[in-house]
Amino acid sequence: MTMDRRTVLGLGGAVAAGSLLAPGVYLVAAPKPPARTEVKAGRRWAMLIDVNRCSPDCRACTQACRTENNVPLFGDPERDIHWIRKVEIRDKSHKRPSITLPVLCNHCEHPPCKHVCPTAATFQRQDGLVLVDMHRCIGCRYCIIACPYKARSLVYHETHLPEGGNPKVPIRGKGVVEKCTFCVHRLDAGEEPACVEACNRDGDKGMIFGDLNDPESTIAKRVLEAKTTTIRPDLGLGPQVYYKGL
Amino acid sequence: MNSDFTAIEGRSPGYWQLVVVLGVVLAIGMGAFLAVEFLGHGITNMTNRVVWGLPHVFAISLLVMASGALNLGSMSTVFAAKQYKQFGRFSAYLAIALLSGGLMVLMLDLGRPDRMLLPMLHMNFSSMFTWNVFLYSGFFALCFLYLWSMFEYHQFTKVVGSAAFGWRLILTTGTGSIFGVVQARDVFHSAITGPTFVAFSLSSGTALSAILLILTYRHTHRELDKRLVFGLRNALIFFTLLVLYMLVVEKFTKFYSPAFFEVESWLLTGPYAWLYWGGVVFAGAVFPLAVLFLPKSGNSVDGVLLASASSVLGVFCFVGHVLIAGQSYPFDMFPGYEIVNSVFQDGVAASYSPGAVEISLGLGGVALSGLIYLLGIKFFRLLPEKAVVPKGWEVPWNP
Amino acid sequence: MAWFRPVVVAMALLAVLFGGAGGPEAGASSLGSGPPGGGSQGGPQLAKAKGDACVKDRAWMRRNHMDFLKHRRDETVREGIRIRDESLLNCQSCHTSRTEFCDRCHSFVGVQPDCFHCHNYK
Ligand code: HEC
Ligand code: HEC
Ligand code: HEC
Repeated sequence: MTMDRRTVLGLGGAVAAGSLLAPGVYLVAAPKPPARTEVKAGRRWAMLIDVNRCSPDCRACTQACRTENNVPLFGDPERDIHWIRKVEIRDKSHKRPSITLPVLCNHCEHPPCKHVCPTAATFQRQDGLVLVDMHRCIGCRYCIIACPYKARSLVYHETHLPEGGNPKVPIRGKGVVEKCTFCVHRLDAGEEPACVEACNRDGDKGMIFGDLNDPESTIAKRVLEAKTTTIRPDLGLGPQVYYKGL
Repeated sequence: MNSDFTAIEGRSPGYWQLVVVLGVVLAIGMGAFLAVEFLGHGITNMTNRVVWGLPHVFAISLLVMASGALNLGSMSTVFAAKQYKQFGRFSAYLAIALLSGGLMVLMLDLGRPDRMLLPMLHMNFSSMFTWNVFLYSGFFALCFLYLWSMFEYHQFTKVVGSAAFGWRLILTTGTGSIFGVVQARDVFHSAITGPTFVAFSLSSGTALSAILLILTYRHTHRELDKRLVFGLRNALIFFTLLVLYMLVVEKFTKFYSPAFFEVESWLLTGPYAWLYWGGVVFAGAVFPLAVLFLPKSGNSVDGVLLASASSVLGVFCFVGHVLIAGQSYPFDMFPGYEIVNSVFQDGVAASYSPGAVEISLGLGGVALSGLIYLLGIKFFRLLPEKAVVPKGWEVPWNP
Repeated sequence: MAWFRPVVVAMALLAVLFGGAGGPEAGASSLGSGPPGGGSQGGPQLAKAKGDACVKDRAWMRRNHMDFLKHRRDETVREGIRIRDESLLNCQSCHTSRTEFCDRCHSFVGVQPDCFHCHNYK
């Protein structure tokens, strides 16, 4: 069957894939999706967040994420799901003003959630994305226990595609664990994650996204030149969301 | 010394009442499961901060006790304490019963129980859960073979029994390592978590066996030599001291490092301190030790019963403390900073109080184990008619 | 629940066979051999699709679309190979109504794919 498909689509796919495999990030969506796209191995998607630019009451990223990915709110703060959330922190000496920053799945290089998943529902794609295969998740929640970033949530209630939701992204039914995907469906279509797009369009222009393994990409250069850090680098997980000014 | 093994009669109203009560509890548990299956975990009190709640406490405690239930068998098969050979069958059967109850709860609390066979299809060998799937099914098989060999093929008992003994040590270490390997959680992450589970399994398994033996013999009006109970008491004392040792070593090591100071003082004085001091330390170790060491209570069967009950309570509290306190303690995502505001309650300790659904499901597992045990002693020849000690054997020590 | 599915399927099949719920000439055998071109004889009445041909030939689709969708999804989700024409999202561009196409046939044969809890398909 695989052979079958390959021969049918090989030709068209090769052309389309060729245009997509170019490194870097396309800001403009193609009018019609290409016939076939494939992940480029050796790529390393990463995000750089400039904390100094992030203002306390901007919610561009979190809102964009919610509508793009149909992330449900149940009206119960302990169970509401946040793929990306704003956190306000202040240094313990209280000498500096507090700062705000978005926290999301760090798509770790050595993801503990992947290591503990009994069914390999959580996996790491060739381009470094850490994703949950919703078709395989049994809802055991061990990954939630293992994630030090609180990036994951169990869906506690029945969910539905919200009014004005995005029909292209399936909702996750009750009983599975969901988290940020770096908008994998957009990445595969050559677009940036929704939060980054929204931040740069409506927000404080503090987020950069791209391929860290491509020395020509903006993010690779910026991570090299500015002093950046990640959340809890001491855990050795290799998080891929970098923060500047923390 | 081995008088005949016989099944109990199991015709008294008391027996049937017990069966019916357990059956009803199990049915309620199943009802709770179906409710969660159809309505979602929203009807439980678990949240996205405390994702493993009371069902897991019950399940893991039962699993820990299942491995501990094998103590009696191992004592005779591995450590040549011949006076306990007569309880070998009981011991292996009880292990199977507890394992079934615990695994049932664990399976039924999945978010998607319809997919519960997926771990068999897609294995991820870096997951402690996958290892536990093998450990549990292997333990099941070994207990079964052990039981079988004790019934039919005595020549294999030694081999199978020793294998089961080794296996249960690995098994309980595996169960403890579900928590021990989790680097993210300061409360669990420790090499000693697994061994502490082993210590608790030794103490609580012995305690549960003592309780069931005493009660079963009492209510079937059979004869159980007191000295056998006192032998168990001595084992329980030893295992409880082991528990205490593990707890002390862990706290000592952690308190020595300033990095753990905050967590540890939260554990010992924070909202779950009562569970630690009252449940783990007092019920799990200090109280049983006190009861067993005092000559008056230590030399009475009822005293042993009381201490054992406390020890069983202790294992529930221990697992509960590891789980609930471990999950409630907030992550320190930004060392050196404090969290002022977050929609997802970062930096704030969570709280959890079990709801009716969780209680029903957890008790359902206990009821299943109980039913398997009750039916087992009625339909199989598990227990000797008269449990007596071999000639010339005396309890080596009495308080 | 996994062990329920065979039971559900069996019950549904029994209902179709004995209850006559399948319409005038209910009979599972008519599924594989219906005439090409909209096939209404015997089988369920399916809505006509847009376009002139399915992504594979019709007989093949009838028999294999489930494996196809399930294989596809592992490749798509886990390996990131996205093929526009074969995506679940794309079925609806020609088979515009799930209730009048997919569901009709599925209730006829007594399967209930759980996909549409999550996947949007009207
Ligand atoms: C380009 C439009 C198009 C797309 C896309 C498409 N189909 Fe079809 N499909 C058709 C047409 C037209 C027919 C009728 C074929 C015929 O009569 O030979 C058909 C027939 C079928 C049949 C057989 C129905 C019968 O009457 O026996 C099945 C099953 C089917 N499609 C499933 C699918 C699935 C599943 C997908 C998504 C992967 C899909 N189709 C995508 C156009 C399409
Ligand atoms: C001609 C009848 C027919 C039509 C039309 C049809 N299906 Fe099916 N479908 C079946 C049969 C038969 C099965 C097999 C059930 C089995 O093997 O258990 C099935 C199974 C499936 C399964 C797998 C279910 C599972 O859990 O294993 C999926 C997914 C599926 N169909 C999707 C679709 C979609 C989407 C459409 C509409 C685009 C569609 N089908 C239209 C007959 C049909
Ligand atoms: C728990 C929710 C859930 C259920 C149930 C579910 N899916 Fe999915 N599925 C998803 C999500 C979320 C994605 C998106 C993954 C991505 O885009 O990378 C997805 C992606 C897919 C894809 C690849 C995307 C595409 O457009 O082709 C296919 C194919 C697919 N699912 C088929 C199925 C089939 C067939 C079933 C039923 C047997 C099913 N799914 C049931 C959540 C679900």
